[in-house]
Amino acid sequence: MTRRLEMAGIGKTFFATRALDNVDFTCTAGEVHALVGLNGAGKSTLMKILGGVYQKDEGEIRMDGQAVEIAAPADAARHGIAMIHQELSLINELNVAANIFLGSEIRHAGTPFLNKGEMARQVRAQLDRFGLKLDPNKPVRELNSGEKQIVEIIRALMSDAWLIVMDEPTSALSEEDKEMLFEFIRRMKAEGIAIIYISHHMPEIFGIAEQVTVMRDGVIVLSERIPDTTEDKVIKSMTGAELDQFVKPHKQITGKVVLSVDELSSPGNYEGVTLDVHEGEIVVLTGLRGCGAPELAKAIFGLDAGYNGQVRYLDRVLKPGRGPAVAVREGMGLVTENRDKNGILPPLSVRDNIALPFLEKSVKGGLIDGARVDGIVAKAIRDTSTKTSSPEQEIRFLSGGNKQKICFSRWLDEDLKLLILLEPTRGIDVHAKADIYRIIEDLAERGVAILILSYEIDEVLMLGDRVLTLFEGRKVQEYAYPHFDKDRMLADMAGAGHTT
Amino acid sequence: MTTTTAAAPARRGKAMDSLTQRYLVLIGLIVIASVGFGIANDNFYSLANIGILLRSIAVLFLVSMGMTFIMLTGGIDLSVGSNVAFAGGVGVIALTATDSALVGFAAAVLAGMAIGAINGVFIGRLRLSAFMVTLATFALARGLALVIYDADSINVFNGAFLWLGGQSWGNMPVVIPFVALVFVALSVLLYRSPFGRDVYAAGSNFNTAFVLGRMPQRTLVWVYVLSGALAGLSAIITVGRVSSGQPWTGLYLEFDAITAVILGGTSLFGGRGRLLGTILGVLLYGIIINGLVLTGTNPYLQNLIKGLILLGVVLLDTLVQRRKAQ
Repeated sequence: MTRRLEMAGIGKTFFATRALDNVDFTCTAGEVHALVGLNGAGKSTLMKILGGVYQKDEGEIRMDGQAVEIAAPADAARHGIAMIHQELSLINELNVAANIFLGSEIRHAGTPFLNKGEMARQVRAQLDRFGLKLDPNKPVRELNSGEKQIVEIIRALMSDAWLIVMDEPTSALSEEDKEMLFEFIRRMKAEGIAIIYISHHMPEIFGIAEQVTVMRDGVIVLSERIPDTTEDKVIKSMTGAELDQFVKPHKQITGKVVLSVDELSSPGNYEGVTLDVHEGEIVVLTGLRGCGAPELAKAIFGLDAGYNGQVRYLDRVLKPGRGPAVAVREGMGLVTENRDKNGILPPLSVRDNIALPFLEKSVKGGLIDGARVDGIVAKAIRDTSTKTSSPEQEIRFLSGGNKQKICFSRWLDEDLKLLILLEPTRGIDVHAKADIYRIIEDLAERGVAILILSYEIDEVLMLGDRVLTLFEGRKVQEYAYPHFDKDRMLADMAGAGHTT
Repeated sequence: MTTTTAAAPARRGKAMDSLTQRYLVLIGLIVIASVGFGIANDNFYSLANIGILLRSIAVLFLVSMGMTFIMLTGGIDLSVGSNVAFAGGVGVIALTATDSALVGFAAAVLAGMAIGAINGVFIGRLRLSAFMVTLATFALARGLALVIYDADSINVFNGAFLWLGGQSWGNMPVVIPFVALVFVALSVLLYRSPFGRDVYAAGSNFNTAFVLGRMPQRTLVWVYVLSGALAGLSAIITVGRVSSGQPWTGLYLEFDAITAVILGGTSLFGGRGRLLGTILGVLLYGIIINGLVLTGTNPYLQNLIKGLILLGVVLLDTLVQRRKAQ
């Protein structure tokens, strides 16, 4: 018989906030059920209740018609529910098989010694069953994020999980790894595994899921079979309103060259890249993960010294490895691709997070002019439409989209000449995305030169005045707006184009 | 400037944050502890004893304020106690050699800053573990102190040099207004200068501070130099109190300072805390220790009680943090 999970009438209240209200959610073996919604819609709360991290206030969880209690993560595991986290929980120093058998190792009969051969054999059997090519004896530290995710899923399957919850599984994957993951998911479906798939990406959802459920403000607003619905319908129910689409304003690039990169090379990262960015121009670098663009952008900002070639900025040659302090003083800004690692200052206030890079400008007689900082911060919050209860709010309590806006808002200073953005909309919802696009265009309008790295082709097409495709560290083609050719760009990225 | 006025009341409205709550609790505990010891011993409330109490914790005030800066950057300084002995030795020797109190002061403070600079360069520039580096200088500075003192104390007779640590106006030791002055100066530095913001930034997320061009490497160096300078000042006060320089002075001072700072609500992980909390932490800790002495508690028990206080506070803080993270 087909296994089935039902969550009925689930409710949860945090302090005064109603996080979930009367939520019904079902999941059937052999199907992918996509769960979508903006940040804060209640998806994670619902999944944490399913995983035993939070306790529900009301409602019932039924497994194959039988009511079950999930009071702790161990209960969820016992009922065959496995959560695959974005932050991967593998031990880098152990190999694949050792990670999978962690805590339930197989020993040689009657001895305390591990039977590594048997463990590797069992893992290989599982991998073969799903058509995956992976060496069980490879140390996990040598795997890429796609492969690590697969190891986590295999670990869950080998402890008899039948329901796998994946939260934004593709957010850090290359195109190739995404394909591998989707193939794996298809095989799991065929083997009768149920999957709850949390994602923002419509094409992924419509490619892989049987059912889609949309949450908004803690309630279910739509739940339909995939063939009976459309991407438009899903997006509209997510936002609750017509999304005011971001439309790129028409403009003429006439300003002078701000940044000029000549034959920049760093062995193993990028090779002979040449590019110019003008005042008010948005230049987008794109390619597959591993194309060398982030390393290139970081070298330009001064984070990396190991390059050959020349970086000219405002008609001066910049020395390699001059460090970000020089860059910021000269009017360069950087928004990094990983806000939690090096984008925000978690225990500090929104105010401190915004004011930091240009603090010296608000100093009078050696002391900070608090009123002036307040003014700058209030304006930055307004201009980026960041939602925060007050400038004194600690930044770590903000949503991903609002954190990202703060990473932008600290660079709104009038002396900014060049802004480098690495994956500016990674992991944020559609509303925040539109706001971020608007901020980028506003900055360009003001004459700031902007260099963006993006892996999302639709974003590349929407934002760029000029697009450079990269493949394995080399520039493939340059496209000027409006002469964009999506198919050719994708071919360039995959290495099918001609290298200049 | 309507924006400024709009932002200001919001801040005052949020004033009752977790740190403020903590300070109220600390004040409450200080009151309870003083009342308790006051009942147990009539001398506790005498002006003379309050003077003695404040003077005995003056050094702890200074060292703990330096420790607060360091712990705000997520670091730790185990070398302060040894540094007080070393800086005192250098100061006393310079004083005896030149008979100039000014040279003695400068030598003590510079010697303290030198040890701080060693810590700072290894921790800030070379990114070594603060715990390991200061554990090494903890031994190193004590060793240097024993060498320069030749393991024996040196008596000091220069009145000017002894004035700061030894003189009292009535029942008020001179050192107390001095500590208050240092507190005000350090508060301005921490809250009103860009350096102070960089201290918080370096402790919140070193990588972010680096990418934003704030040079946290440099911030760390200066924070340890500051702690060293305060150890130097503490050395002068210590010598003044007992009219001699002693190689074994400042023993366990780093333990007392770390306990007081943690008690004052500064996070072990950096980025969170204030100087006021440290002041309250030192007061409470000092009252408890002083009270134990006055009530004739077995001195062997005192270390036990100190250890329990530190363990208890860390446990409580961690549990509260975990509850919040839920």
